[in-house]
Amino acid sequence: MSDPRDNVQQEFLAEAQELVEALSRDLLLLDEAHQRAERPDSSLINEIFRSVHTLKGIAGMFGYKHVGTIAHALEDLLDDLRLGRTDIGDPLLDVLFDSVERFQRLLALDDPQAPEEAAGVDAYVAAVRSIGTQPPVEEGDPLNQYAIGSAVLSVLTEYEEHRLRACIREGMQLYRLRATFDLTAIDDSIEALRDIVHDDAEIITYLPSLEGGNDESIELIVLLASRVPETELKAHFEGQYGTVEAIEEQKHLPTVPPNLTSIPPGSQSLMSELEDETGQASLRSVANSVRVDIRKLDDLMNVVGELSLVRSAVGRAVAGLDGDPKYRQSLQELDRLGRGFERQLSELRTRILDVRMVPLGQVFSKFARIVRQAAREHDKQVRLVVTGANTEMDKLIVEELADPLMHLVRNAIDHGIESVETRMRLAKPAEGTLALNAYHKGRNVVIEVEDDGGGMNAHKLREKAVSRGLLTAEDGQDLTRQGMLDLVFLPGLSTNSEVTDLSGRGVGMDVVKTNILRMGGVVSIASEQGIGTKITVTLPITLAIIRALIITVGARLFALPISAVREAIPFAPQDVRTIQGRKVITMRGETLPICDLAPLFGLRGARQQASRFVIVCEMGNQELGFVVDELVGQEDVIIKSLGPTLSSVRGFAGASDLGDKKLALVLDAPALFSEYFGGGEDLPSVEARV
Amino acid sequence: MTAGAQRATLVPDPGSDDGTIPVVAVLAGSETYGFPLSAVREILMPPPLTEVPRSAEHFLGVIAVRGQIITLIDLPTLLKLEVLDRQPLGRVILVDVGDELIGVAVDRVVQVSQLQPNQIEYASAMSADLSEYVIGVARIPSESSSVGDQMVILIDPGALLGGLK
Repeated sequence: MSDPRDNVQQEFLAEAQELVEALSRDLLLLDEAHQRAERPDSSLINEIFRSVHTLKGIAGMFGYKHVGTIAHALEDLLDDLRLGRTDIGDPLLDVLFDSVERFQRLLALDDPQAPEEAAGVDAYVAAVRSIGTQPPVEEGDPLNQYAIGSAVLSVLTEYEEHRLRACIREGMQLYRLRATFDLTAIDDSIEALRDIVHDDAEIITYLPSLEGGNDESIELIVLLASRVPETELKAHFEGQYGTVEAIEEQKHLPTVPPNLTSIPPGSQSLMSELEDETGQASLRSVANSVRVDIRKLDDLMNVVGELSLVRSAVGRAVAGLDGDPKYRQSLQELDRLGRGFERQLSELRTRILDVRMVPLGQVFSKFARIVRQAAREHDKQVRLVVTGANTEMDKLIVEELADPLMHLVRNAIDHGIESVETRMRLAKPAEGTLALNAYHKGRNVVIEVEDDGGGMNAHKLREKAVSRGLLTAEDGQDLTRQGMLDLVFLPGLSTNSEVTDLSGRGVGMDVVKTNILRMGGVVSIASEQGIGTKITVTLPITLAIIRALIITVGARLFALPISAVREAIPFAPQDVRTIQGRKVITMRGETLPICDLAPLFGLRGARQQASRFVIVCEMGNQELGFVVDELVGQEDVIIKSLGPTLSSVRGFAGASDLGDKKLALVLDAPALFSEYFGGGEDLPSVEARV
Repeated sequence: MTAGAQRATLVPDPGSDDGTIPVVAVLAGSETYGFPLSAVREILMPPPLTEVPRSAEHFLGVIAVRGQIITLIDLPTLLKLEVLDRQPLGRVILVDVGDELIGVAVDRVVQVSQLQPNQIEYASAMSADLSEYVIGVARIPSESSSVGDQMVILIDPGALLGGLK
């Protein structure tokens, strides 16, 4: 059915997306280092260069001309940065950060060559070029002061030479390490060596020594720059690798090595060196992971479902033999095997679910960039603190979460965290803190967005709600402080009357709440004036399997996601009253509107005389009781969507196989609520996840 | 399969030398319908049916087939025909309508016929006002001599999807 070219295209987009995300993460690290006025790690700049370089390569292959053009311009800029031809600074960082946005937009285009984009791309490339090359101040070549030996110097690449100079300028001591490596594992060994030295030292280059080594091994001379004292370095390497020898600084300059500013003939060019490295890196990543279309996992899950049906059929066949003494022993054995089979089956199901899980860090890293940008635009200082970035959730939920969380983050910066002056006046640290915390709690994942900003004025919220007619003044009087804070989730209420470019563009907290509800989650708010605000989002780990209450209406089975259910109480028809034609009952002194599902679905409530139940459900700040016939029990169910042909039927989120091909329709509580309360008629109904 | 306003035509089986078109003929209500074999994925014994409240009348409900939820439709109702003598659900044929597999409820499967192009009378060439789901009709010589030729109403699977949404 699917065009293989589409697949290839999808592969490209997925890979490009990953590269852009990696680029974005690395840029943030670079920015952090810069803000702390530290020298950026050279390997970080290399990573960034590599991402851009690879992106340029694959963009070219797939006809993403604009992406290629931008990547090419950036590559030049980054090469200058690597070689110390230009310095890191805010303009440069801004241009780099801008590229992330541009890449993402260009990758989302239907037409990768779209001519109308050309002008924007050209302007950007011009901006990149204008950062230009600012040659660093020459202060006498420090290389000349060391007895490195012209044999070594003559084969250094331009990049290695630059790193060598930089290390010397930073006051690092140079060492020569002679070590013997096994020829078959030389790449791994050098990689291991890099890992060991990474924090204390930098490997400038390595080359084979002329002596030493045999058919299976080779002696390398490794040129190292290090901050740690010689004795410590020796303790690290001597014995295990080889000998360490310091390269002394020469006070007098006896011989001047050949001209070092040009690349010596015969040495590898910078580009070809990189091609090799990227080639290696990508091969390695392919070996460890594969990209899988999530639909394939759904197919696997279906097979597991089929297997369990087979299992129960075998069970029934075996039960038919029961009672025959001839088979007693075999039956016991079959029973044991059956149970083992079931265990493995549930294990398989868990493992497949596990594959769908991705760390939340995937969306959190996007926010880091947003925070930086938003804070800069609004001249606020914001520090983002992330905990639990490796908390895992269903890929589909993580994707759906990006927008609501983004809104919360923007809100926190825009309305929450105060300007630097205000914070100083209040004796708060100039830099505001925005915390994103994620952790598992039972079958759920909790995500908190917490800021140490101004907090919300509960009374002001109430006033605004009343003035906008969302609440009567009397109702407002009865609200608790928490009740007033919860008003923020009402449609049409925004805490800040001015529309800013960060938030308040009409997408309010009510939309955030609706989106979270759709995913079967809940959102709550806590806020103290002057101290800060914390929004807590609780979501199921996966939507592939949800816990549901199984009920019957008119002798038909239905499933109601448990996340919406507060309690179930016996239904007493004599207690029903009507208010303006709507049926209500009184529960613990409060009025609860009820909705009888049998007439709503056009089913005959076959068991009028028998005991029926009211399922009390809660969505946001609304409550509604659904009248049903029987409670069957709770079950973990897999929701499957109804096909497109039935997508216009309101009130059902999908169907679930309860075993033996018995299906239960899954009630779409948010849709039923909006149908009953009349609000939000235009909200699309919940899509099933599987 | 083509969908939309333009009526589809049937394409011969690419594997056949003589340009014949294989069609699955099924009996539903009092008429015989034909589906291009290329669109028929499977013929099933009917699994338990779950009604979908508030759906249009031609939707009988949903069934589970290997973990997938399949919508089951009643062809005579879709074609606005009165069925006097309704049979219990005999078979379900799974038809690929483009984006989706749908189940069509039938009383029984009659046969798979190899239609010659000249056996087909396209709806566009007929004066009768036929439903948008009908490509045309075909005459199939009956296997038993006691009854005359059989009229098979050829259904366009692609049009089904557009019409059902």
